[in-house]
Amino acid sequence: MELERRDFMKLAAMTAATGLAGSMASRGSTALASSQPPLPDRPDIPGVTWEKAPCRFCGTGCHVQVGVQDDKVVAIAGDRQADVNKGLLCVKGYHVGMILYGQDRLTKPMARRDGELVEIEWDEAIDIAAKRIMASDKKFGFYISGQSTVPEGYAAQKLMKGGLSNNHIEANARLCMASAVTGFLSTYGVDEPASCYDDLDHCDTLILWGNNPAEMHPILFSRVMDRQARGEKVTVIDIGSRHTRTTERADHFLPMKAHGDLAIANCIAQQLIEQDAYDHDFVEKHCNFRADRDPSAKFDSLIDHDTYVAYVKEEGATGLFGQAISFEQYKKLVSYYTPEKTQELSGVPAEQLRMLASVFADKSQKIVSLWCMGMNQHTAGTAVNNLVHNVHLMSGHWGKPGDGPQSLTGQPAACGTVREVGTLAHALPGGRIVAKEAHREQAEGFWNVPKGRVNPKPGYHTVKMFEQLCTPTDQGGDIDTIWVQVTNPGQTLPNTKKLFKAKADLKDKFLIVSEVYPTATTELADLVLPAAMWVEKNGVYGNSERRTQQWFKMVTPPGEARDDCWQTLAVARRLYELGHPGLKDKDGEYLFSIKDDDGNEVPYWEWEHYYDINVDKDLFDEYRQFTFLKHKNVAPYDELVKHRGMRWPVIETEPGTFKETRWRFVEGADVYVEKGAGIQFYHSVTKDNKAQVWFRPHQWPAEVPDDTLSLNLVTGRVIEHWHSGTMTMRVPQLRRAMPSAYVEMNPDDARDRGISNGDIVRVTTRRGELELPAWINGRAKPLRGNVFVPFFDEAAPINDLTLDAVDPFSKQPDYKKCAVEVTRLDQPSPYSLEDAN
Amino acid sequence: MGKLSRRELLFGRLRAGVSRAVPSASTPPPPDDGPKVAVIQGRHCLTYRELMCSTCYERCPEKGAIVIEQGIPQVVSDLCTGCGDCHDVCPAPTNAILMLAPRPTINEGKP
Repeated sequence: MELERRDFMKLAAMTAATGLAGSMASRGSTALASSQPPLPDRPDIPGVTWEKAPCRFCGTGCHVQVGVQDDKVVAIAGDRQADVNKGLLCVKGYHVGMILYGQDRLTKPMARRDGELVEIEWDEAIDIAAKRIMASDKKFGFYISGQSTVPEGYAAQKLMKGGLSNNHIEANARLCMASAVTGFLSTYGVDEPASCYDDLDHCDTLILWGNNPAEMHPILFSRVMDRQARGEKVTVIDIGSRHTRTTERADHFLPMKAHGDLAIANCIAQQLIEQDAYDHDFVEKHCNFRADRDPSAKFDSLIDHDTYVAYVKEEGATGLFGQAISFEQYKKLVSYYTPEKTQELSGVPAEQLRMLASVFADKSQKIVSLWCMGMNQHTAGTAVNNLVHNVHLMSGHWGKPGDGPQSLTGQPAACGTVREVGTLAHALPGGRIVAKEAHREQAEGFWNVPKGRVNPKPGYHTVKMFEQLCTPTDQGGDIDTIWVQVTNPGQTLPNTKKLFKAKADLKDKFLIVSEVYPTATTELADLVLPAAMWVEKNGVYGNSERRTQQWFKMVTPPGEARDDCWQTLAVARRLYELGHPGLKDKDGEYLFSIKDDDGNEVPYWEWEHYYDINVDKDLFDEYRQFTFLKHKNVAPYDELVKHRGMRWPVIETEPGTFKETRWRFVEGADVYVEKGAGIQFYHSVTKDNKAQVWFRPHQWPAEVPDDTLSLNLVTGRVIEHWHSGTMTMRVPQLRRAMPSAYVEMNPDDARDRGISNGDIVRVTTRRGELELPAWINGRAKPLRGNVFVPFFDEAAPINDLTLDAVDPFSKQPDYKKCAVEVTRLDQPSPYSLEDAN
Repeated sequence: MGKLSRRELLFGRLRAGVSRAVPSASTPPPPDDGPKVAVIQGRHCLTYRELMCSTCYERCPEKGAIVIEQGIPQVVSDLCTGCGDCHDVCPAPTNAILMLAPRPTINEGKP
């Protein structure tokens, strides 16, 4: 039976709604649940088979049950057995099945001939890609994604670093999570949150640092709202520059100026010390103090804040890991951030700052801090991440259920694929780095490649890689080919005219794009490879709480669309056939050889044989060996098949029995903590099992408003759409609910400019102009001096206007701060005004 | 200077400007057979599942015709003009908004 699209939509809607009903009973207290009859795990619909998969969208990592009939996804239900979402889904999640069925799916490889994309056969497409890479294997960049699956990331990583000796592999998570990584590394010595979502069920106070979980991580926020609805007391404190749907549910709103977070976190530490309310025992046992430079190298006595700032400005920072300082020196530096001084820097009233500090001073309270892009897309992103860890460490609000810092990710495998597999220019799988000889040797060992195969020099970070692509070859632009998979840099890079669109004029540069729909990126592609997506292929994701999640292919991709992982491996095979020496291991065997049980090589690089074996399982279990060094032990593939994700380190308690870890570094929860230690940061930067409390001074954003451009531009997501809208704009309900971008203004700023609701206005930054409708007193209200524009709408490419300044350590750009002006169309643009003056 | 009515804002005119070949997002308006009033069905509305959604409230062109109480949108029937905007934008898996004929008052007696 061929299901009509109309029927499909009806069925999807119907079953999704059943999932909704199921969620009602499963959420909430046991008393509430037991008052209702038990519901089936998933709707019973004749002819529909069901399987588990993590949701395709954000980093929360909800599980859905996918209903399949006649090789089509026909229904989606929240997965009641999933710990993350317990049957609940957000507005995007309920519609996730429909992302497969947009009418303009790419189904045939295409190459650009005389400026036009023309359809070609797969064999030719693989050939073009392989020959291009063969010809310039050192000028080739691979740009993948926090939505790539773990095996996809691992295959790309091994091809680049283990095969081509080329470290120019990056992922879009650089734009999203890099500062959280450098924050964790410099504070704890190892990446990723030690806490987990269970904390949300136990905390007394939830502090949101520039975070809007009601729209961006609705399922997590609903865990807290649900507790409130049951009469539990959970205080929500929202620190931000925009009054959002989250703020509506918050008990306190701390209105913050751009970069105020740096001062606020320092102020909490200042107050804890001044009132002697910091946790002496915790600090003594578990903390060291650190800064960019140790002033005692130059000064005989303790120096004050301004002297320190001038000193570091003159001498420069010493790198990500800085230098040790004494507690006394830390105390002196941080004493600058009195509530009054901080009010001046952050805009938050001193009284509210004292209230916030008193929350941390109260040992009887359990506190969770949540953050995501507000702190990470920040030119002092590493610093502010350190500072928020600081306040939890100083106050001892760390390592108990409901008590600790939790960073959130925006993509479903930003952790699993990018941070854990290390698909970044400086990294190797399992928390290793290319700069360390021992790490290179370990990777070369696992890959059985000759010593010296892995290049010790980090490649280009994302912004630099695209800058080099867009720079003419004769002017030093030494990246000439980039292969993009599972992401849309044409819309999501900052300053896209400079970092992406400039490629259009450079005829010798080449862009390969694996995609599912036409996007701003395929528009400039020279070779387009149609990709399978989500449950059209096998996959493994890893969410924000270290949870690794596996799913199987359930339906056939449309037309000739094929798995991204297959594409990588087919090109790898073609490079081998072309004689690239890097595609052989040190025994002369093919680098990606997979043998069947009889010892015969499986020709999985031929599409018709790709699913003869489970290539994902083979790659994942190979990757798994890398994960033990930093105690990030992922479970074996076959174990993941049985679970709705498992949180690493996954411990084999007895042969064949695996147990996940909820809290890292905490005795009783994490087996790697020594008996009696309580808390042990066993990957400490200082090798003494202690975490680092950092002094990081306040600094202003890279671009601040001035007389010409007098407002600050913040970009971000909306609840209906995910990232660049490639998927969600194809879902009729979501597209209808939010069809186009807008500029959200504070009513006072609008009034000053004679702008009323619905006016089409001109939005201008130093990089360009865009016309958008103004939305005033709509969904959210930015603080005075700020405007907000969502980035999902490809018809309104706001990233043409954003700034490409990056954090010095994480190289992550800042999408939340740049100078902007908004003018009526009948008024001159700010620049023509300036010329007139 | 371009100016959109509230109804057009983010909903009508701009949609035409998006070039990509994407299935049309419009649903047929409710048949015009007399006055209508919006009714939100709790069993389909996302806000009844502890999820935050206020799309209907945000897009309602009549001030006060949809209010949010404790996170849950409610239609004030006396102010609702029956335009159907809220029905058109509702993102719930099953559209939570019905456009019904206004309920006759008791004094009107039996239909």
